[in-house]
Amino acid sequence: MIRPRGKILAVKWGMNPNSSSLGVDVTFLLFGATAVALATPIVAALIRWRKPAAPAAAVTLPTPTPGDP
Amino acid sequence: MIRRLRALLAGDPELAGARASRLERFGAIVQLTRPRALVFVDRERARSLGLDGGAAWQGPEALDAAPLSAPLEAHLQITNRCDAGCAGCYTGASKAAGSGEWGLVEWQRAIDTLADAGIFHVALGGGESTILPWLGELAAHARARGVIPNLTTSGLTGLDRLLPIAERFGQINVSLDGLGDTYAAVRGFDGFARADAALRALRSVKREIGINVVVTRANYGELPAIFAHARRRRLSEVELLRFKPAGRGATIYDRLRCTDAQHRALLPTVLAASRATRMRAKLDCSYTPMIAHHDPGAALLAQLAVYGCTGGDFLVGVKPNGALTACSFAAPPPPHGDHRPSALDLPAYWNQPDAFGAFRSWRAAAEPCASCAYHALCRGGCRVVSAHRGDARAPDPECPRVVDHRAAQPREKPRLPVV
Repeated sequence: MIRPRGKILAVKWGMNPNSSSLGVDVTFLLFGATAVALATPIVAALIRWRKPAAPAAAVTLPTPTPGDP
Repeated sequence: MIRRLRALLAGDPELAGARASRLERFGAIVQLTRPRALVFVDRERARSLGLDGGAAWQGPEALDAAPLSAPLEAHLQITNRCDAGCAGCYTGASKAAGSGEWGLVEWQRAIDTLADAGIFHVALGGGESTILPWLGELAAHARARGVIPNLTTSGLTGLDRLLPIAERFGQINVSLDGLGDTYAAVRGFDGFARADAALRALRSVKREIGINVVVTRANYGELPAIFAHARRRRLSEVELLRFKPAGRGATIYDRLRCTDAQHRALLPTVLAASRATRMRAKLDCSYTPMIAHHDPGAALLAQLAVYGCTGGDFLVGVKPNGALTACSFAAPPPPHGDHRPSALDLPAYWNQPDAFGAFRSWRAAAEPCASCAYHALCRGGCRVVSAHRGDARAPDPECPRVVDHRAAQPREKPRLPVV
């Protein structure tokens, strides 16, 4: 039994062409949590197997300081 | 399939579906282009992909503990020019260009800034952005910087210019607020035939074409028929947008906004239409309270990244003059010193403690949001609707839970004057 390393927290499907608000795909709600549970290992495999397209974006995260939320 | 195999052999990252990624406090966000998805992973999973957040991974790990390191997407209103004159236009677009509208060079520079910040997508809109002769050049520039451009159009004009460049966009949606006469009832003029012709023409050159529907009480009853129409046209999705009290829409908001009963019935109506037509259904962020009303489970919604107001966090808007906003419906934030932040100032403005004002204040919610199991996802509903009713920080007044909560409050008795 291979223990999965870490978790997939969320998957936002599709792209949002709407220039006024953020659209989310609710079609999965037709099938419920089971469909999400089935899709998650496939997504996990895809992100592991796909080669990185480019180095990670040059984002500098602020180092948390005491009192940060 | 053959194209895909060739792409894999040639190492074409776009077609082969290579991944890009961005570090976050909670871990990372990984982008897949095939299938199209943004995958949020925790720190341990990010490490297994070879990513390392260093010191930034020392703090709290919860996804909603702090804003993202940058938006996922930016909504660029690249012009406010539009000939349509829709009665409820949220930008108040007109035939004349507004003063100080940016041109191609400024927008390219903005996309450079957004790309450097790690943004994944831009949604180009207006006004009617297809009237701009440099739209294709801007889309190509975004692609070259690794940012996927998406587009909304009315389909009423600029089609000849759009068809040859359609493939540069990830997804193109045509605004279609009703079929036949209903279109005119919502928009104030009869444009259905032209918008529908645009749908057919675009679909003949590209698969990822969909419909955007601004839902009002005038077209609510027609939603199943709109889904069926999308199916007949072999489109990829129907995206439903809540009517917002912004621009010209503010003046007719009370006449056109959906009723409470329609809001409560929205999710089952949409899912039934989606099931009947096998058509992908999307709801915009302002509809999250209406989804939560049916209690589908907070964990499931979190897995599907169903969030409410993420203005100034997952998304930002940029006005035609470059002014940065929390979302397309919001006014630009107050000047910082003597300078109003533009898209070029995003990296410096993003981490300011008071950035985007009310849009980042959702954690300090009043009841009934504070005790709601969906609050961390819904974030109090649409700030623009709340602002229209007087307080941008107040719970969304059209959320069914808020409606019920207010109805249960004892009414204050009118006091007699003391003589």
